[in-house]
Amino acid sequence: MAEATPTPAPAKPKRPLPLSRQMVNAQTAKAYEDAWKAAEEGKPIGWSTAIFCQEICEVFDIPILYPENNCATLSARHIGDPYIAHAEGELAYPINICSYSRLNIGYADTLLKHPEQIPHEAPYLPRPTFLLLTNNSCTQLMKWYEQLSEMFDIPIFFMDTLFNYYEEEPKPHKIKYVRSQIENYIKNMEKFLGRKFDWEKFEEVQKISQENCRLFDEIVALNQRKPAPMSGFDLFNYMSCLVICRGKRSTTEIFKQLKKEVEEHIANNTSTFPAEEKYRVHWEGIACWPNLGYNLKTLKNYNVNAVMNGYVTAWDVLYNPGNMDEMAKAYQCSSTNSFSTPAIMDKRVASIKDYGCDGMLCHVNRSCKLMTFHIHVGREIVDEKAHVPVATFDGDQSDPRIFNEAQFETRLQGLVEIMKEKKEEEANG
Amino acid sequence: MYTLGIDIGSTACKCIILSDGKEIAGKGLYPLGTGTIGPKMVFESALKDAGLTREDIHTVLATGYGRFQFDGADSQKSEMTCHATGIHFLMPSARTIVDIGGQDIKALRLDAQGRLDNFVMNDKCAAGTGRFLDVMAGVLNVKTYELGPISDDAQSVVSISSTCTVFAESEVISLLSNNVRIPDLVAGIHASVAGRVAALVFRNGIVPDVTMSGGVALNHGMVRALSAELKTPITVHPLCQYAGALGAALIAYREATK
Repeated sequence: MAEATPTPAPAKPKRPLPLSRQMVNAQTAKAYEDAWKAAEEGKPIGWSTAIFCQEICEVFDIPILYPENNCATLSARHIGDPYIAHAEGELAYPINICSYSRLNIGYADTLLKHPEQIPHEAPYLPRPTFLLLTNNSCTQLMKWYEQLSEMFDIPIFFMDTLFNYYEEEPKPHKIKYVRSQIENYIKNMEKFLGRKFDWEKFEEVQKISQENCRLFDEIVALNQRKPAPMSGFDLFNYMSCLVICRGKRSTTEIFKQLKKEVEEHIANNTSTFPAEEKYRVHWEGIACWPNLGYNLKTLKNYNVNAVMNGYVTAWDVLYNPGNMDEMAKAYQCSSTNSFSTPAIMDKRVASIKDYGCDGMLCHVNRSCKLMTFHIHVGREIVDEKAHVPVATFDGDQSDPRIFNEAQFETRLQGLVEIMKEKKEEEANG
Repeated sequence: MYTLGIDIGSTACKCIILSDGKEIAGKGLYPLGTGTIGPKMVFESALKDAGLTREDIHTVLATGYGRFQFDGADSQKSEMTCHATGIHFLMPSARTIVDIGGQDIKALRLDAQGRLDNFVMNDKCAAGTGRFLDVMAGVLNVKTYELGPISDDAQSVVSISSTCTVFAESEVISLLSNNVRIPDLVAGIHASVAGRVAALVFRNGIVPDVTMSGGVALNHGMVRALSAELKTPITVHPLCQYAGALGAALIAYREATK
């Protein structure tokens, strides 16, 4: 007699994505579709670092895609590992460099040598014809893009920014330095593309970009409410609109829809956080993309909502349209990576207070030294000024070998136990 | 009322049975960790030591690396909270606790009431952990618990420059082949671990009194080296190895009587 086949448990029905998320997905798909179409027609396509002045390419109406954002997507979908292995193996890149760069360089080499293996759709990048590079969030980007430039034999348009060692705001000479480069970049793009730059359209794109940044700020600020209307991890998804389509009207529409949804959650006292919110933490560092699902599930199990993080506001490139000095300044300092540890941590302390966080959870990201090294000193500043406990865990933005589930849960549980004690103490006076 | 705390570590299991949250009625220790017979054996040995059966135990609380894998527990708590609670019971004046576990290092800071206030742990690396000491003891062909007495005869402290456990192992083998005195080498091994651990403790801030918990605290050579590195005295309770299990039993009692 044949053994009875065990009946598999019925699949848990997936909750339908909110309209705003569907719009994000459609916008991303279109960005890739436009780029692949341009590639097939032999038109220019750029690969850009995450916080470049995308307004200029928007004016030239050229598709731009973002390798850092692309690496995050490939990692979250668990399809980036073969490219990391290729970069470390055949190409001999060391494990110590950023995993985004390893993944993207491994991908670029595959794209060059085996283009037939690459589907012409999202989330796969078509071959670029030029590169846009700025070092306002990371200095390793320069070496990464030099490699890409050599591999593809294409030019780099580079905007150099300066670190702000001792000041809260960039000094005038730094603003002048970046402004002159933006202006020079426009001239060089005119030469490269053989087209004149449309300054009127530029101001329009700047206006859209500013509207989008402000809308996003307003939405993020809504998470100050207790309980928060959004799971903080949602911000990682929506921030991609600012990364890849900051100057587009479609992003405005998405953010208007999102704001409406969030306000509805507030009105109905509901949230996208899938559990009761007992604790609120401030997340420090880039998301642990390969382990995003596990992180969220574990946070949910401990009723912890990471309501805010110091990463999502990096695309807050705020300036008055038409004001090139302000634009230069904004690109100089939108990412807190360009500031000293005390300056960064003062912003985190303010944010912890604004968002009513009970603790801080820091991703010690093996790839991103810049966003990690300040944590070890920074936690003392947070401890002293915000009076909240801080826990760290090991992980990586793309390399799945660093994160450890047991370690993450132990540290989170320890943090929760301290937060619980403190809350009970406060409640008992 | 009897409550039981079980600390299931990566290399050893410890168990404490408390009577009315005040007195230790029984205890057990087994040198195997999670995923082995260790948890079962230590549970049974603590019951036997107390002259009790499972039915006599009101609440069981598990802690340590294997806390979620132990079916007999009513609830689980992190080892940070359990070590803090256990040490506060044993040594009420302690404000800084260092626990060198099999695969992690914890620097715990307690508030004036003895509650866990903040903690720092090592990154994903065996350097400075109990595993480092186990590996070095293996190279020297001695038992880990013998390292402390051996270091008493040190005339100097050999410098071990490698932080990585694997590289340090090679370095120790190389030093052995150069006929370096074993006590001096063991003192160097302790100093290497102490340097690594001290960096974490400094990061969390040192508030006296400073103590060590866990099995490594029984290695007086290690305590001496860490005390020198931290430039502060470290006191150790004879039951330091049971601190996590004791904390678990105390929390179990509090939960049961809430």
